[in-house]
Amino acid sequence: MSWVQAATLIQRPGDERDVFDEEADESLLVQREWRNHMHRRVKEGYRDGVDAGKAVTLQQGFNQGYKEGAEVIINYGQLRGTLSALLSWCHLHDNSSALISKINNLLDAVGQCEEYVLQHLKSVTPQPHVVDLLDSIQDTDLCHGVPAEKTIDEATDERLSENNAEFNKNCSTSPSGTDYSYLECYRTQQHTHSENPSLTWILEQTATLVKQLGIPVDILQHLKQL
Amino acid sequence: MAGSQDMFDAIVMADERFHGEGFQEGYVEGSRLGVTEGRQHGTLHGAKIGSEIGCYQGFAFAWKYLLHSCTTEKDSKKMKVLEALIGMIEKFPYDDPTYDRLHEDLDRIRGKFKQLCSLLNVQPDFKIRAEGSGLSF
Repeated sequence: MSWVQAATLIQRPGDERDVFDEEADESLLVQREWRNHMHRRVKEGYRDGVDAGKAVTLQQGFNQGYKEGAEVIINYGQLRGTLSALLSWCHLHDNSSALISKINNLLDAVGQCEEYVLQHLKSVTPQPHVVDLLDSIQDTDLCHGVPAEKTIDEATDERLSENNAEFNKNCSTSPSGTDYSYLECYRTQQHTHSENPSLTWILEQTATLVKQLGIPVDILQHLKQL
Repeated sequence: MAGSQDMFDAIVMADERFHGEGFQEGYVEGSRLGVTEGRQHGTLHGAKIGSEIGCYQGFAFAWKYLLHSCTTEKDSKKMKVLEALIGMIEKFPYDDPTYDRLHEDLDRIRGKFKQLCSLLNVQPDFKIRAEGSGLSF
């Protein structure tokens, strides 16, 4: 780049050229050509460099993202699988349709949760300000398993976490065993447009449901790590 | 003479030099872009596998418990298939995209899962994530 700048400086005296100096135009033209050529070379180099740099790190980034995605989402998969097992158990044993629709709602909630977490995993880029945000989100205990929030600015973020705190509070204080408590929470959650029903809440609801089915809660033992 | 020779060399080399300067800048930017882009793709694919494997795992564990504690029937056939599926899932390195038998093992797990479902006489609908199919570039 320093060469290009030097060339620009050299051009200056040429600007105050004698009107009768026939060579001036030509040398100016040559200089301009030279400069354009070198600019082009820098650009070409830049493009080649981007390609080469990408080629080296793409797979590495892929592997890293793959691991993160798999490790986070497997928990949601396990919860979904467990609920599906309960659902098939209910179908086999002719359980009440109320319980079956309850399981279906919980399955939807897990799917929604999963989608939300995935969107946020994708939007995380390895930049310092994201890490800062990540910390602040973890501090607010916004939701489990969501590492960061990038696309939404901090103001929105705060509102979102307020809604969520409220939402989680409502859900956890509602008496367990009440048939409609989870439906209310579900509605609240849709109302506030916060797209992540908390995983803890879904787990609590699942535990309640298991009790209602007359199955020991130990069946959820393998979900402990959630 | 030496001076003009240097100048001549410098002009010839300039081409390479400018290209090299651009290249270095581009390389740094490209490396950054590569990690970000790769990560985005990787996350999707990893999540897809994690979601599917997690589902099988949760399903298998829950059914194992149900068969153990909630039925009087001692169906050893069901239990055997269930244990086999759990064993396969536990050995499966679901978070490693470089695992060379990934597709092979995944197909075996899917097959075992189908077998289990038909033995249990259930048809679960997992709504497994559909986007993306390949596992690397």
